[in-house]
Amino acid sequence: MMDFDQLFVTRNWVGKPVRRNEDVRFVKGEGRYVDDLAMDCAQVAILRSIFAHARVKRIDVSRAAAMKGVLAVVTGPEVAGQTKPIAPRAITKPATQFVMASEKVRYVGEPIAAVVAEDRYLAEDALDLIDVDYEPLPAVVRIEDALRADAPLLFDEAASNVLLDDTLEHGDIKRAYQEADLVIKEKFHVHRYSSTPLENWAMIARHDKASDSFVVWANDQQPGRSVVNVCNTLQIPTNRFRLIVPDSGGGFGIKLAIWPYMVILCLLAKKVNKPVKWIQTRREHLLGGTHAPDCQVELELPMKKDGTILGLSMKDYENDGSFVHTAGIYGLIKFATLVGCYNIKATRAQMLSIATNKGPTVQNRGVGKPTMIFVLERAMDIAAKQLGLDPAEIRFRNFVQPEQMPYTTPSGEIYESGNYPECLRKALALSHYEELKKQQAEMRKQGRYLGIGISAGIEPGTSNLGYYYTSRGIPEYTGNAEGAIVGIDYDGNANVIVGSVDTGQGHATTIAQVVSDMLGISPERVSVDNQLDSLISPFLGHSGAYSNKFNDVDLGAVIRATEKIRNKMLTIAAHALQSDVADLKLNNGTIYSAKDNSKKVSFREIAALAYKKILYLPEGLEPGLKEIAYYKNPMAKLPNKENFNVQLTHSNSVHVVAVEVDVETGEIAFRKYVIVHDCGNQVNPAIVDGMTIGSTVHGIGGVLLEEFVYDEDGQLLTTTFMDYMKPVAAGLPQFELGHMYSPCPYTLLGTKSAGEGGAIGSLAAVANAVEDALSPFGVKVTSLPLSPEKVVRAIRETKVI
Amino acid sequence: MIPPQFEYFRPASLPEALALLSTYADDAKVLAGGQSLISLLKLRLANPKYLIDLGGIGGLNYIRKETDGQAERIAMGAMTTYAEIKGSSLLQSRCPLLPQTASVVGDVQVRNLGTLGGSLAHADPAGDMPAAILALGAELKAVGPKGERWIKAEDFFLGFYATALSPHEILTEIRVPLSAKRKSAYIKAARRPSDFALVGIAVCLEAGQGGTCERIAVGVTGVTDKPYRAKSLEAKLKGKKLDRETIEAAAPAVTEGVDVIGNIHASADFRSHLARVYLYRTIQAASQS
Repeated sequence: MMDFDQLFVTRNWVGKPVRRNEDVRFVKGEGRYVDDLAMDCAQVAILRSIFAHARVKRIDVSRAAAMKGVLAVVTGPEVAGQTKPIAPRAITKPATQFVMASEKVRYVGEPIAAVVAEDRYLAEDALDLIDVDYEPLPAVVRIEDALRADAPLLFDEAASNVLLDDTLEHGDIKRAYQEADLVIKEKFHVHRYSSTPLENWAMIARHDKASDSFVVWANDQQPGRSVVNVCNTLQIPTNRFRLIVPDSGGGFGIKLAIWPYMVILCLLAKKVNKPVKWIQTRREHLLGGTHAPDCQVELELPMKKDGTILGLSMKDYENDGSFVHTAGIYGLIKFATLVGCYNIKATRAQMLSIATNKGPTVQNRGVGKPTMIFVLERAMDIAAKQLGLDPAEIRFRNFVQPEQMPYTTPSGEIYESGNYPECLRKALALSHYEELKKQQAEMRKQGRYLGIGISAGIEPGTSNLGYYYTSRGIPEYTGNAEGAIVGIDYDGNANVIVGSVDTGQGHATTIAQVVSDMLGISPERVSVDNQLDSLISPFLGHSGAYSNKFNDVDLGAVIRATEKIRNKMLTIAAHALQSDVADLKLNNGTIYSAKDNSKKVSFREIAALAYKKILYLPEGLEPGLKEIAYYKNPMAKLPNKENFNVQLTHSNSVHVVAVEVDVETGEIAFRKYVIVHDCGNQVNPAIVDGMTIGSTVHGIGGVLLEEFVYDEDGQLLTTTFMDYMKPVAAGLPQFELGHMYSPCPYTLLGTKSAGEGGAIGSLAAVANAVEDALSPFGVKVTSLPLSPEKVVRAIRETKVI
Repeated sequence: MIPPQFEYFRPASLPEALALLSTYADDAKVLAGGQSLISLLKLRLANPKYLIDLGGIGGLNYIRKETDGQAERIAMGAMTTYAEIKGSSLLQSRCPLLPQTASVVGDVQVRNLGTLGGSLAHADPAGDMPAAILALGAELKAVGPKGERWIKAEDFFLGFYATALSPHEILTEIRVPLSAKRKSAYIKAARRPSDFALVGIAVCLEAGQGGTCERIAVGVTGVTDKPYRAKSLEAKLKGKKLDRETIEAAAPAVTEGVDVIGNIHASADFRSHLARVYLYRTIQAASQS
């Protein structure tokens, strides 16, 4: 962390709840999303498989191609003939899949052909004229179906539906079992859900015939990697592909997987010699717009009678569906939170990536960490109950202590800072925990069932991208970094371009706060261009909006570039004022001498020297005022199975929840929701609060409502928002937030991740509260979601949810 | 929205609308607010060649009290929106079941655009308004090329999205008898406040001598392929004192003879269970109204 007295010349903006400057534009409909771009485009519609598993024997597009208004049609076999297969990142078994299905379809909704027509209506009509002969194969839907010895294979070449099976041991797990008084064992199941941003996937592709090159406009979340993926798949050099990302209406991870569609659009654009546009419909999005996998986790905690956890053993089956690119990552990334907030000295984790005929999965908010904290925090409550300890007490007994910071977990993850016991103490105080317990006892006498749930979780940020490859040897990407350009224009105002993209987080506001305080100007004088252009923006393979890296490397790059520009301005000012740089100060858009206030020069005058009167610049100094910088997180370790860090910052939070369960109808109503959150220093507390609440609501959606339901044939039954139920404002709790501020020593601003914590901690907190409410009925919660029907059935019959 | 191609008409009068309907009946759909039909068009689940929008016809949007001899009744135009029903002070004082039910239909946007007539003619098996209309013993006016006829609410709903209206008829008015003694309530079970009912129960009752129930009408929605009156249940409760024991003993009759639907939101068993639970709760609420 930097010395703020050195870093900032004013302290007017950083740390203040500055209103987001993007919002007016967005709420007035003045956003600049892909579909808003003024371009004369032909429109694309995509034919998708109606079967979960089938051979494609024949595709006849002749009727569609002959339809009036149709410009071109492309089929899976044609695409496969012109592209390389999708490159896997984490799985170890061979599995060949193209961006469009050629010989075989593997999920309902997999693209098998695409039509370009003069408008989208005609394109959709033309899909009805494409004849596909399918030879249906038995569908593999559930994990247990995929693991059967006689299970149909998704990928024959893999000779198994298990595409990754890796076991990593750290610390002496055998000894943990030997020394244990008891072992808590439980099998958990977390269902399939996802994020469903307001704006679905959207893209436009244009082919330039003269240079045989492509420009794509898309709401991509990780452009750095997408450029590589698209070029590799199309087998073209990078200088023939340019990616532009305009405004993006929400991402949450699932827009990391849109690049296969860019490949399809490029091929179509080349065919019709006109820009082509594809705007994904909500139904398409729910079908194939990527999910978080459902999973089964077998967890064991060898413990002492006093509640001390000696080790953790986990077997994690992830139903990764049928997208080989990201299959396997949900297991590996769990190492970022494998031991949660606890002093667990030995771990063993077996991670299995299972291919099934469910839809594709990709990183979604928290990526496996919500599940990890769910199973761990559920197991903590189960252990507490067995040992007769209060759920708060068993956590106090196991927390990593503040004096242990920075703390390294058995696998090598470094928790930089934090005070976990204090965080829980604060949450208990804020929720009036003891009062809640009294209230619970009172209500039970009246036949009302209040439950209290606690969850303590780690919220990791900034992926060390090398982690994927602990299973595959040397990775293509390691560490994490971002780039930024900061310029001062003719008028002395600052402008910033970053390599990442904004999907709604308020990056422009936050960046403006930091730059303002570094240069001594007001945020109105800092403009941040949210648009990424791979030809212009300073980007890396890591560039994008994911894993909460913004507060770390994105701001790091902005700070480094701003320092460069500040130094250059100081050099010019020193020359102009005949002063020493050491005597100069910045304030209100001017640089002045601390020794003689009358000696001052405005940014505008400095810009005039740098851009126009360049002969008056100091000897040897380059003209111009634009600086580029890349910033790399310093803590990332090299890939090494014995000792690796998956993520590079670690925020933490405690959720305390009270719910009342209607035991006749199974309805769950919130009575209290307290979150105490520690993400180190905060640049904009209002944005952090918004993210904490929004993220928690997503978790609540996952616990109570949202589920992708498949039937036994692999048909998705939840393809609209009537059936895939997002939480709505009515029925949500009033959130009470508390904050702690444990600065991260390894980021420039002492900031850590913010944005996924709520989605991580809320699952267990709500589940623990529901189980507590139902304790008079002896109900145990081991699976999600907690639908009213499951609640009532558990009370009356099964005793298990 | 990317529907298949259709031709759109916005007639200015009812005769004009009826003429269009008799020309295109089998290929036409009537649009009366669009809060259900537009969703189906979006997903290409409905494929009408002609869309006849009643939004341009004046005079189908009213709530008024009428007197027929001694009896009083409410008449509502078919194009009256949920929001208008919810906000009507006449209904709030004389027939509170309608505003209470309208207030839990969908969300604000749906209530501002969706109409009573649209809801009834669309006949979603989980619609809220049909349950209230059934419990109130309403009559529905159908106008066709041969003139008008009145259909009792209990004869109106025939099955999944199917009603007693012929393809040439338009529903224009809903008439509800008023009663000073009537107590009522509508409660629905839904996963989220804005959702269709998993189970919705509307109860109208009139108390007799000594705390017994003189008249009771129960409208049920969400349970089977159509909203219905639970007549055998009503027979079991009529004349009885409505205590918990009596209601619970009679409750299984709420789904008697009904093929209860099961789907991803609730199995048939759970729906039946909810119907029994909500029956008790709704009668309680009505009694205390």
